Amino acid sequence: MQQLGEGKLSLMATRLRERKQPQLSMAPMIDCVFLLLIFFMVSTTFAPMPGIRVQLPPPGTPSKDKPKGLIVKIDSPTIRDQDGTMLLNEELVQYDDMYPRFLDAPEEQKSMLIIQAQRDVLHKQIVKVMDIAKNAGIEKIGFAVVARE
Amino acid sequence: MALQIKRRRGGSGDEDIPMAPMIDCVFLLLIFFMVSAIMRIPPPFDVILPDSTTENEFPRKKYNLFISSDGKIAIDDQLMEDLEDMGLFIASHEHQISTLIIKADQRAQHGDVIDVVERAKARSNKIEGLEVAFAVAEDAD
Repeated sequence: MQQLGEGKLSLMATRLRERKQPQLSMAPMIDCVFLLLIFFMVSTTFAPMPGIRVQLPPPGTPSKDKPKGLIVKIDSPTIRDQDGTMLLNEELVQYDDMYPRFLDAPEEQKSMLIIQAQRDVLHKQIVKVMDIAKNAGIEKIGFAVVARE
Repeated sequence: MALQIKRRRGGSGDEDIPMAPMIDCVFLLLIFFMVSAIMRIPPPFDVILPDSTTENEFPRKKYNLFISSDGKIAIDDQLMEDLEDMGLFIASHEHQISTLIIKADQRAQHGDVIDVVERAKARSNKIEGLEVAFAVAEDAD
């Protein structure tokens, strides 16, 4: 009787030993990881964005003194979606003339460009003026604002 | 002592390729891309950026400020109710905004853009002044 019991036990132990160890299947996880990797690789953009940097002065009351620098005044556009008339130091100016006139300006004026534009001037015109100024080596650009108490 | 190189001719075909180093590399790449990825978040309205020949470039960041042609303001995909709302948002995320990137539509009015810039400047506590960048179209020559 006892021998029979021992025989059964040894048989069970052998079966247990023979049973395969559970394995973690890696393939689905690798599939997921690859999919995620491809998604992030496709959606990530490392190329920098083009733009025009403007360093603004610290907050406070705007200076009431007459600024030393080139002043570009831009009038409201007479026709909708068109450019407004531009004045550089009170003289009428076009885009083509602007670059040589920025270059020929006295050194003390070339340090800064002040854009004094009407509210309804289109942003693309401002960017175009800033663009010409940057190309002419003017680093500081300011915008004229109305001081409100 | 001569080196003995064992060469198996005509492999049995059941050799395992070691997967662990490949998985390690893939995980490293995945972590790198996950950390460095900045998702492109479209604004709630269409914005056509102005063209420019400028050579200035700056890294892509989160919290871009969009201005539509009709004066609507959004920060990434969140539409701002008014300038006050925008100012509060900038003040609360100031430590995450080093350069305020303004993506204004080419037909946006200068007055609207300056209102936004002035409000952002007033809300910023940076002593040296807030740095602003006006984004331009990427395919501009």
